[in-house]
Amino acid sequence: MPVVELVGVTKAYESKVAVHQLSLSINAGQMFGLLGPNGAGKTTSIRMMMGIIMPDSGQVKLFEKPFERRSLDRVGYLPEERGLYKKMKVLDQLIFFGELHGVSAGDASKRARDWARRLEIADALDKKTEELSKGMQQKIQFIGSILHDPGLIVMDEPFSGLDPVNAVLLERTLLEMKDQGRAILFSTHRMDQVEKLCDSICLVNNGEAVLSGRMREIKSRYERNHVIVEFEGSASFLNSEEIAEAKNFSGHAEIRLKPHGDAQKLLHQASAVATIYRFELVEPSLEEIFIRSVGGKPDAVVAA
Amino acid sequence: MLSLPRNVFLVARREYLEQIRGRAFRMSTIGLPVLFAVIFAIAYGSSMGIGTNKRIVVASSNAALANDVREELVRGKGSSSHVDVVSSLTPEKRAALIREIQARSLDGLLWIETPPGKPPAATYISKSAGEFMTSARLNDALNNGLVEEKLTGGGMTAAQANAVTKGIPIVAYQIKSNGSVVKSNAEASFWKGYVMAILLSLTTMIYGMNVARSIIQEKTSRIFEVMLATVKPADMLAGKLIGVGAVGLTQIAIWLAAAVVLMASPFAAAMQSGQLSLHFSWFEGVLFPVYFVLGYLLYSSLFAGLAATCETEQELQMYMPLAAAPTWLSFALIVLIMNDSNSVISVAASLFPPTAPIVMFLRMASEIPPAWQFGVSIGLLILSIWAVLWFSSRLYRIGILMYGKRATLPELMRWLRYS
Repeated sequence: MPVVELVGVTKAYESKVAVHQLSLSINAGQMFGLLGPNGAGKTTSIRMMMGIIMPDSGQVKLFEKPFERRSLDRVGYLPEERGLYKKMKVLDQLIFFGELHGVSAGDASKRARDWARRLEIADALDKKTEELSKGMQQKIQFIGSILHDPGLIVMDEPFSGLDPVNAVLLERTLLEMKDQGRAILFSTHRMDQVEKLCDSICLVNNGEAVLSGRMREIKSRYERNHVIVEFEGSASFLNSEEIAEAKNFSGHAEIRLKPHGDAQKLLHQASAVATIYRFELVEPSLEEIFIRSVGGKPDAVVAA
Repeated sequence: MLSLPRNVFLVARREYLEQIRGRAFRMSTIGLPVLFAVIFAIAYGSSMGIGTNKRIVVASSNAALANDVREELVRGKGSSSHVDVVSSLTPEKRAALIREIQARSLDGLLWIETPPGKPPAATYISKSAGEFMTSARLNDALNNGLVEEKLTGGGMTAAQANAVTKGIPIVAYQIKSNGSVVKSNAEASFWKGYVMAILLSLTTMIYGMNVARSIIQEKTSRIFEVMLATVKPADMLAGKLIGVGAVGLTQIAIWLAAAVVLMASPFAAAMQSGQLSLHFSWFEGVLFPVYFVLGYLLYSSLFAGLAATCETEQELQMYMPLAAAPTWLSFALIVLIMNDSNSVISVAASLFPPTAPIVMFLRMASEIPPAWQFGVSIGLLILSIWAVLWFSSRLYRIGILMYGKRATLPELMRWLRYS
């Protein structure tokens, strides 16, 4: 059951087309990654889901209904440009956000305390925002966006600005929420994170979806033709006719097979001349896939 | 009971509570009236003292005339001048007195020559050029002295002559629209209108600016997009205008309550009996908040639209003179309005929405305008608030999500067309 759906959505500004004929859909219990370089149209797409920008054509559906503002009470949104009221007490602020989403002040206060405990910032609640560190403000912001227990969580670059410890904490929290059946969409330009967390992705470039679908499905479209071998003994198997290209870093070899090269045959050849500690047939990384799909350089994609 | 959409109410309540709890509110609620009282006291006190408290020498070969002039100068109300008389008019004496003026042991020298067969000639020598209040007093004193001198010369007694030159005060009465005749006090009503107009323009500007500043702060803290996930831009703007306006009304209510308490105190009784009897009617008590709300809404909705197009408070400052121009215009008209509160210009200015709130209060100082004029001015204000809001909410809707640079005029025009 799709929780959010974009159907052929297009949005043009005066000087350029920000999003062109974009379609995607996210189901409950799914973690969805929206990937692409800055200016690719990620934020515009997200803003259209949130009704902040209206699409020129195409349709946005939330919870299987055409977009209506009422549905937003079931959506948690963490925008890329985010902030808090500096002079306001953190707890008051969270209650305010909760109330705006239709949660009663009492419930909002209770949930805020629960979440603050889970995210290890319970003592921040009685302070003013301006007294908090940046990382703490990020967590408060996150709590503010999920206090009303939304069925869909939309986050624009949620990991930017978080230190590794807190990034892991956020990843864990998101995975838990996914397991509870919520749909989660986040945008990022970090491929490794998406690779680790997401079930489905949509890769956008210049406002168009370059690649989209379930992660496994996408990866299975590409041949597993990379092999990593860790070994001791003769390296003569690296001259095998199955291999197109090989790099040997004294006992650690990275190999690209020829098209239709046989990995099993190579394993036999290798084990005949050397002791094998590791022989792994790896799938191409998302980064490589993206580069192949757009035919560009990785820098053009990853650069923030 | 007017029911607000829930989100408008929540935004307004947050704005209201945060501001009421803030130190700025407490400071301005207490500080503004105190500051006012001090400025007022200084202005009033110093205008009373001008031209008095001087050391002056009156020199004339006609000793009787010199003494008459001296008496006139000393007799003046509140005068603490010290006046000496010199009756030998020699060039040496004159030079000596001028040296004293240079040394500042003397403030001025009134040198009266009475050549036989010719009209008398007088010169006043002092260190400063701008003592026009002093010279007005001297003129009166000299002319009265000359008249008294002529009269006594013609056979009147000094007392009789004195009685002739003594001015007669005119007691002014004012007919109110309900037919009652009351003693009018031009000076007091001037001050009252002036004070109320200044208070009105100050509060309107302060709270109009307040809205603008709070929008800029929300923009720089990047909170808008978080808010927009639930609240419509129009609701946010409405909530903000209502919340900040309520803060302003609260402040005015506190001032009014304090004024009522003060009026009932012995201090007020003293003030009422004095020359500056300020009496505020319930009519003014009602109209003041009404014109505050209208003036505030007009200015703040204008500022709100402009603020949304700016990136920093510095950029906003650029627009301020433009927005404050109607206030300046209102005060530039003050003499005209006070002199004839029913002239075409006075009436027009009190109907013209940007100047209406202030000018109406200036006019009310001298005479309560007819009811239809209040009706028209309030109606026009509401219409123009609606028009400005239409314009501003469009700028606001797009402006709050524009970061990085201030929008140029062509961009603003495009925003208006788009939304």
